[in-house]
Amino acid sequence: MPPKDPEVEKLKKELQDAIAKVQEDQKSKADTDMSGACGDLSEAPKVRAMCKRMCKGHINKVNSVHFSGDSRHLVSGSLDGKLIIWDIFTGNKTQVIPLRSAWVMSVAFSPSGNLVASGGMDNQCTVHDINDRDSTGVAKIAREMLGYEGFLSSMRFLDDDNLITGSGDMKVIHWDVKTGKKVHEYFGHSGDVATMSLSSDHSVFATGSVDRTIKVWDLRDPKTCKQTFWGHTSDVNSVYMHPSNMAIASGSEDKTARLWDLRSDQQVCEYKPPTANSGFTCCGMSKSGRYIICGSDDNTIHMWDSLKGSHAGSLQGHENRITSLAVAESGIAFATSSWDMSVRVWAL
Amino acid sequence: MDRRNAHPRLLMSSQQQLRVLVDQLQREANIERMNTSEAINQLKRYITEHEAEDYLLVGFSSQKANPFREKSSCTVL
Repeated sequence: MPPKDPEVEKLKKELQDAIAKVQEDQKSKADTDMSGACGDLSEAPKVRAMCKRMCKGHINKVNSVHFSGDSRHLVSGSLDGKLIIWDIFTGNKTQVIPLRSAWVMSVAFSPSGNLVASGGMDNQCTVHDINDRDSTGVAKIAREMLGYEGFLSSMRFLDDDNLITGSGDMKVIHWDVKTGKKVHEYFGHSGDVATMSLSSDHSVFATGSVDRTIKVWDLRDPKTCKQTFWGHTSDVNSVYMHPSNMAIASGSEDKTARLWDLRSDQQVCEYKPPTANSGFTCCGMSKSGRYIICGSDDNTIHMWDSLKGSHAGSLQGHENRITSLAVAESGIAFATSSWDMSVRVWAL
Repeated sequence: MDRRNAHPRLLMSSQQQLRVLVDQLQREANIERMNTSEAINQLKRYITEHEAEDYLLVGFSSQKANPFREKSSCTVL
């Protein structure tokens, strides 16, 4: 056996010390837990949301769904190779965009509603301008972003000119949509990036990965990752920035959802359904942050009171795995996509 | 592997990778942390202040405000 390299051994020790320091400091700041701090609150009402719209039109699994900033239009991407834009008030399709590759895993709507982005196993991100249509009325491609070594898993627009993507090659990239050039690349994840969520003021964003961590990045200081949250014992499939921008909700393959507080830099709550036998594929929060909502492998949507930690109910309806969940910015509804080929809109 | 697109980690020796990891971890270890009591209180305060606007919690103030309501038919007088 080769002798141990003293340099490497020294580094490994430094690594252990740094990890121990983080854990020590976090512990020293944990002067209360969620149940202690929220003992005075009464429980949030049990969930009363119902399926208000069933958006039928895709003819294969729907992998991703996202709202426009107008809280009225939704884009969905399916393995049938189409993006569909829906008006959730009427439940009607307003546009259908055929994709060059059917392998779409993730979609995003720009806040303005002018652009949609999509990508997946084609290892590229394509942006369509929905107002710029060809002679047959189909939205034209505005930009294609290449250079990935893995599938596109997640993407979010800051605005019509700026898009951030997460991919299976561990990359997180901020693109200038107009020029198609990389603005910055964020390094840190050691596994596929699976999900991302922007803060409402666009100052920070969070990513979740197969490496089991959630990382927080500062858009104004992109050189290094700001914080890393450990705790999930399997892939982090979904993250969602708390509306206050002070915390992050996550859903994981480890069958738990958790709440991570940014300022105390630690997990503050864990959520499990009455029978925890399925991983969570997607998550979101209601407008105030009181409810945390997760879509599951077992076709069910679970909701919890984020402060009391109690299960607030489950929503049935989808007939196959739920793949993605999007919350309207106004908080008026949330939408889910599924392998059952439908998109459902849920509201009170 | 296309070196132009490769993740920088793949182009480093394992010792260099370890150095990068240790430096980053030390940076993250040194951030300012707030007490959880203070942090959770602020979360509580935000949530309670915004509950009235949370449609999934309190519903719609009137049926007129509900875009998913059953539209009643109009009669021509």
